[in-house]
Amino acid sequence: MQNDKKKLKGLAWLTMLSVLILSIWFLSTMIKNARMETNLDEYMPSEHPAFIYSNQAEKWFNIRDGILIAIENRSGIYNPRTLEKIRDITDALEDMEEFDANDVMSLWSADNITGDEWGLDVRSFYTRIPTAPGRLEELRLDVRDNDMVYRRLVSEDETVALIVAGMDSKYFTQEFYREIMDFAHSFESEDEVIYVAGRPIVEGTMALLGPADMKKMVPLVLVVIAVVLFLLLRSYRAAGATLLSVFISSIWAFGLMSVFNVPVYSVSTMIPVMLIAIGVAYGIYFYNHLNRYYLKNPDTSRYEAIRYTLGILWKPLAMAAFTTMIGFISLLTSQVYPIKYFGVFTAFGIFSAFVLALVFLPAAVMLFGYKPREKRSGTGDFLNDSILNVVADNLLKNRVWVYSVVAVVVLVSLFGLQRLWINSSFLDNFEKDSDIVQTDAFVNSKFGGTSALNVILESESADAFKQPEYLHLMDTMQKETEKLAEVGNSFSLADYLKRMNKVMNEDRDEYYTIPSGSDMVAQYLLLYEMSGDPENLLKVVNYDYNRTNVTFQLKGDDSKTINEALSVIKGFEDQFAEHGIEINYAGSGYKALVFTSLILEGQILSIGITLILVLILLSLMFRSIKAGLIGAVPISITALISFGVMGLLNIPLSTTTALLSSIAIGIGIDYAIHFIQNYRMNISKSGSRQDALHVTMGQTGKAILFNAVVVIAGFLVLLFSVFPPNRTLGALVSMNMFTSLLGTLTIMMILIYTFRVFANRQGETVKK
Amino acid sequence: MKTNNLNAGNTNCKDAGLAYAEPGVINKIFLLATLMFSLGLLSSQNALAQRIGQEIMEKVYHNPSGDDMQGDLTMTLINRQGERRVRELRQYIKDDGEVEKRIMFFLSPADVKGTSFMNWSYTDGSDDDQWIYLPALKRIRRISSDGKSDYFMGSDFTYDDLGERHPDEDNHELTGEETIDGRECWVVESTPKESDYMYSKTVTWVMKDNLLGLKREFYDERGRHLKTLQIKDYDQIDGFWTILETEMKNVQREHTTNMKFTNISINQGLADRMFTERSMMQGI
Repeated sequence: MQNDKKKLKGLAWLTMLSVLILSIWFLSTMIKNARMETNLDEYMPSEHPAFIYSNQAEKWFNIRDGILIAIENRSGIYNPRTLEKIRDITDALEDMEEFDANDVMSLWSADNITGDEWGLDVRSFYTRIPTAPGRLEELRLDVRDNDMVYRRLVSEDETVALIVAGMDSKYFTQEFYREIMDFAHSFESEDEVIYVAGRPIVEGTMALLGPADMKKMVPLVLVVIAVVLFLLLRSYRAAGATLLSVFISSIWAFGLMSVFNVPVYSVSTMIPVMLIAIGVAYGIYFYNHLNRYYLKNPDTSRYEAIRYTLGILWKPLAMAAFTTMIGFISLLTSQVYPIKYFGVFTAFGIFSAFVLALVFLPAAVMLFGYKPREKRSGTGDFLNDSILNVVADNLLKNRVWVYSVVAVVVLVSLFGLQRLWINSSFLDNFEKDSDIVQTDAFVNSKFGGTSALNVILESESADAFKQPEYLHLMDTMQKETEKLAEVGNSFSLADYLKRMNKVMNEDRDEYYTIPSGSDMVAQYLLLYEMSGDPENLLKVVNYDYNRTNVTFQLKGDDSKTINEALSVIKGFEDQFAEHGIEINYAGSGYKALVFTSLILEGQILSIGITLILVLILLSLMFRSIKAGLIGAVPISITALISFGVMGLLNIPLSTTTALLSSIAIGIGIDYAIHFIQNYRMNISKSGSRQDALHVTMGQTGKAILFNAVVVIAGFLVLLFSVFPPNRTLGALVSMNMFTSLLGTLTIMMILIYTFRVFANRQGETVKK
Repeated sequence: MKTNNLNAGNTNCKDAGLAYAEPGVINKIFLLATLMFSLGLLSSQNALAQRIGQEIMEKVYHNPSGDDMQGDLTMTLINRQGERRVRELRQYIKDDGEVEKRIMFFLSPADVKGTSFMNWSYTDGSDDDQWIYLPALKRIRRISSDGKSDYFMGSDFTYDDLGERHPDEDNHELTGEETIDGRECWVVESTPKESDYMYSKTVTWVMKDNLLGLKREFYDERGRHLKTLQIKDYDQIDGFWTILETEMKNVQREHTTNMKFTNISINQGLADRMFTERSMMQGI
């Protein structure tokens, strides 16, 4: 006996040591290999047709997101100082490595093409800073006359000028953000205010702000979880070991990512969220059973207690862990790589948590012992078994009510589901009164829009876009789309031609139309190439004139705005198709829209696959289709309510919020399997459904309740985050835990009872 | 014979326009340069290297060409995607030492056929005069522009690349010797004296045997490699060394312009009335 004990202790130490060595190894690879992927392009499924097309179109037409620097002078921009600043900012941006010198647009860099009765004049709006009032007025009138610049680079009220610099988002770093902000704001004065906007800024700020905020919040979340865990388990050792196992499983998951050289994506931050929710549950199940055994057998040895606990636990734990893992692995069907990785590595993390619950927690108990928590009597203990039983009995008595409530909740959720919308907006992640949103709103109020949608028209036949007919159609499409409140303006080959036509006809307004013949179009284009900047034409039409880019400026980057514009544009698809012209879309806003829909599709598919798998697995495990069907209830309810509430509260689906329904998978399966397994064990012992239910409620029910309380308490902390997406995350995780809990302990419990799961064969007569 | 070089494309004409140099002068440069390299005297700011560089570039500049030239030009623009835009033109050039007049008629593509373009460029440095005739509009328009750095017809050549740049406008320095395609060349680096010129420096490969520019690299204001010009074919036509094919590659834009010259004849005595608005409208 003494010898055995020694052996066991040795085994426990060995376990601890292996866990330690493995963790150190994973940690060291993490330190060596881990890199954060912040370039959003890397998230996109580059093999998806929409992305292949968009990426190609971006290369064809040099489509890039721009940083917008707006300079506001309330008394008008036409004064020497402001004009000088426009020049200096433009020149400095052209000199910066991050920008392409040919891709900085402003009043200073723009060409002004004008015409009179004898000719055509191509020159800068100003080459020397004008000081004389007459010259300033002349400049003002020049701008007013030029539709390519007026309302595009100078606001209608002439108080704001815009400098647009195209950049690759891959250049965006924290240092560059500071650099560009400091640079821009150094031009501010008493009279002039500077605004910096544009997608790279929004994307960059988000990539910096989200993780920074998380770094602050995560320790708080962990502290709260630790405290609540301790309050519930009443044991430092138990709470500590549980948290440690969650922590270790996260390290293993991230460590394995580093081993395979998979970078850390922003969605990867969801891995620990899942592992906390699930890992904490494993600890609680373990210590609850352990505690129960200790209370029943106060003189038991550690070894006996562990053996009992593992004996009871390993089967449901294994079933739950493997079903959950399959649920996450089903995310491999997603077309988005970060999501695939999220699924696979979360699955590995769950496997780790499962292994740790079977070896690490017992080893900890073996080595450091366990002191059972006192069974306190009286009303003070809200978790008293008898209270849970009273609740259960009442629920069973009022089944009709529970069914009705569930029916209502399901109906309301289905209603909410109709209103659910996908939002790929980056800007909507910020507070309405934040600097970045205000700046964006300001620039949008003065100009066409800070976001862009590129519409690419393609024809098989060369020179197609020299045909006035098609150019007219393009122009009509632009005009129709511009009628939308959120579409500021648009820009295409048609605009260049209208401008050239006007200029070549003594600048008369009635000639601001598409030229009448294709030869005329061809000759104007040749003329523009010879006199203007040919780079400009490359942005709208290809060399064969059978592929053209129409840019729409939008006042928002949210999916509603983009979809509204798309629906008008798509109305022209048929008319273009008649002429053999195909419409496609490009640009970062459009890609984000497609991306978000892909994530959602993948998520829904994954939930669907999981439901079917759970049905099959539970039916096989429990040899009962009934059990399978009932076991799927918590997952369905959690997912449904999760999406329904988002629809009702107008929380759009985004990358992270869509992923949160994974909690429905992880936790829903867990709860259902533990509950059903425990119930089956109890009913085979007692034979009475009610007794079995009471015992199950006291054991698994309580563990589930503990788990939900711990995780909810922890994630509610995120409600105090300053970054809105993190607040949403906290609220939704908490809600999903809560609905999983309710779904399991109310409706699923009632169904198990009512439909006599496992009860028929044993019969109820045994008891009495 | 004027020193002004009127080779076919006028592409980078001074350096590329090959003409003969007096054997004595070449020998002198040869001797000095060989001496310099053999003694290991070559280093930056080396006065000798600068003097030889200056001499080479002057020699290249003062190549005799012709007073007038006519011929066909096929201009091919190749963009990053490998798409090509091909234009055929007939061009006439005449230089009287003060004004270089050039008139071009588009032959193809069909929809711009008959379009003509005339450019008068003045030696005294005043702005070029430009006219365009669009047959669809049946009108001639003057084009005035403030940019010498404008690209010529959407190509990778700026008007300045096409024109001649006097060697006194730059500081030159012989920096080495290299053999390109079996041709031995001097490598001369030229830095503009004016501070805001569009290139921060150019490097020219000058063939030793005939003091002809074979290749030139252009560096932008930030000192980064911008373009490379290469002479792909040249021959003696009507007694003048003439470029027959030249290619400019903008490495930053990944864009290439190829110019091929055919049917060239030089010093045929083009009349002044060739270069009028009237002939622009009449066509060839």
